[in-house]
Amino acid sequence: MKEKKIVVELKNIGISFDGEQILDDLNLEIRDGEFVTFLGPSGCGKTTTLRIIGGFTQPDTGEVIIDGKNMNGAPPYKRQVNTIFQRYALFPHLNVFENVAFGLRVNKVDSKEIEKRVTAMLESVNLSGFEKRQVHSLSGGQQQRVAIARALVNNPTILLLDEPLGALDLKLRKDMQNELKNIQQQLGITFIFVTHDQEEALSMSDTVVVMNEGRIQQIGTPEDIYNEPKNAFVADFIGESNILDGIMREDRLVEMFGHKFDCVDIGFGKNEPVDVVVRPEDIDVVEPEKGQLSGTVSSITFKGVHYEIIVDINDFKWMIQSTDSPAVGDVIGISIPPQDIHIMKKSEYSGMFGDYSTFSDEMELIGDTEITGEDET
Amino acid sequence: MKSSLGRKLINAPYLLWAALFILIPLIIVAYYAFTDTQGNFSFEYIVKIGEYKEVLIRSLVYAAVATAITLVMAYPVAYYMSRSKVSTQKMMMLLVMLPMWMNLLIRTYSWTTILEKTGLINSFLDIFGIGPLKIIGTSGAVILGMVYNYVPYMILPIYTVMTKIDNSLLEAAEDLGSNGFSKLKRVILPLSLPGVISGITMVFVPSISTFYISQKLGGPQTQMIGDIIQKRFDALSYNMGASLSFVMMIVILISLAIMNRFSDDDGGIIV
Ligand SMILES: Nc1ncnc2c1ncn2[C@@H]1O[C@H](COP(=O)(O)OP(=O)(O)OP(=O)(O)O)[C@@H](O)[C@H]1O
Ligand SMILES: [Mg+2]
Repeated sequence: MKEKKIVVELKNIGISFDGEQILDDLNLEIRDGEFVTFLGPSGCGKTTTLRIIGGFTQPDTGEVIIDGKNMNGAPPYKRQVNTIFQRYALFPHLNVFENVAFGLRVNKVDSKEIEKRVTAMLESVNLSGFEKRQVHSLSGGQQQRVAIARALVNNPTILLLDEPLGALDLKLRKDMQNELKNIQQQLGITFIFVTHDQEEALSMSDTVVVMNEGRIQQIGTPEDIYNEPKNAFVADFIGESNILDGIMREDRLVEMFGHKFDCVDIGFGKNEPVDVVVRPEDIDVVEPEKGQLSGTVSSITFKGVHYEIIVDINDFKWMIQSTDSPAVGDVIGISIPPQDIHIMKKSEYSGMFGDYSTFSDEMELIGDTEITGEDET
Repeated sequence: MKSSLGRKLINAPYLLWAALFILIPLIIVAYYAFTDTQGNFSFEYIVKIGEYKEVLIRSLVYAAVATAITLVMAYPVAYYMSRSKVSTQKMMMLLVMLPMWMNLLIRTYSWTTILEKTGLINSFLDIFGIGPLKIIGTSGAVILGMVYNYVPYMILPIYTVMTKIDNSLLEAAEDLGSNGFSKLKRVILPLSLPGVISGITMVFVPSISTFYISQKLGGPQTQMIGDIIQKRFDALSYNMGASLSFVMMIVILISLAIMNRFSDDDGGIIV
């Protein structure tokens, strides 16, 4: 596929609020027609980044370039960008039709043309017949579609969406995910989407930007992000991962718990300490003597398609997802195919994630009382 | 809507209170308005109102002008307040309310010391050999006094409504291409209309029945209907005073009804 032109470029963006650095040296290129998602925990700066692109917030440092033009200081109404706000921000004094027509009226589009475009747009978001309704009388999903229509009717080249599905229930959320993805592909608009739902990010995006504490942790396709996480934070945030300390003995050979594992990674220094990621579904359960490592099962939970097994190996609790169902207390062996061992450079996040020793406490509601009891002593 | 009887019982003390302090005085006013000095039913004093036509019209005009000026002054202040930091909002609110803690008579009296022939302004102008200007006794001075006294009643309801306008709505308007003026016209004005209407009501009603201010800051040719009513009662001419009051009430009721019509679409007056 030919590389499309870059429509949005962020260069060394930095901003602080009340003396606290919120975004730090953020660099990003977004291409025409791309579906880019900002993914990260609450408060990591996703909305702030979006607002900087939209022009609602001005960065302290760095450049915002849209369509090749430096847009620093340009107000929102001068940008070829439309936004769907986190809580829709529909105009309560206008009915559905007038909400959607707002941008066209501001731009003095001829009223016959407005009639035609708004009607067509409402039809394409399945809201025909709702023209005269007041927005507060609509359901969450309907309001959401009005917000989409209100933005899209202006034919923006770039659409910013701040957790647009956050307020919807699971079923509606899935439907709207498909609908949004269809709209994006049909119209070929660049979508810059914000979510803290990793599944949503992986299933909808061309490119995922994983953020934490105001910095980009990794930019890549959903497959890249999942299969080749750059550091322990990304590995932990996207899906479930066992993250272990290892030492790279040589190319394609890593040592963990005194055992050498074949892997496929090259280019690390000899005897370099590394983080090793193993996804729970990539681990095979075998006879203890046939395994590369072995340990005792400390819990097992049925999850529908598979069992979630926590196994204690040399004081590290591994999570395994398998269709096998050993009993608690059984000694099992584990075996990991070389291509499923992912090596990452050490980072500031090393050692912070990836051990499931507290897992059962987190997951079981009954554990709550015990945890508070421990905190107090 | 649980039990209408229960509701009535709960409302009973209020209804009694209303009857005692609102209805009965109104009936007394109406009684005096439609009787002569002997207590016989008569239109004598209602008819006499024609003699005060000029004063009535002047009161209406002054009230309308004062209301218009307060609106123009208060609207930007209220907007600015509502978009400020919370601490700034509290500060400004205090400043708006501060004069209201002083008695109306004292406030008006202090204006006379500023505006009079030997007052603050004229003493200042005298340094440059200008003046003295005749300020006190003019209709301008009366309207100034009214604006000064009533402007908080315009700011407060507009400010209250404006604080409820979510910032994201203004951002959405900008996002859709609105700059300053079109944002004002298409979003801020329509959403603040209920506040504007209650502000107008809260200023116009006391404005039209203003007295004292017009005596202290004005002169014989700026008398307002409130002054006349006061003088009639002082002169023990209850029937004339009552019939003038009665007409005033009708005028106020009509203007309230007009205001209500404007606010109906937006869910009533917010006071
Ligand atoms: N106007 C502001 N003034 C002060 N602090 C702010 C402001 N806007 C954002 N912040 C702070 O910046 C940080 C990042 O906020 P932001 O809204 O970008 O997070 P987010 O990633 O969108 O989170 P969420 O998923 O909860 O929406 C937060 O700590 C927030 O408190
Ligand atoms: Mg956010």
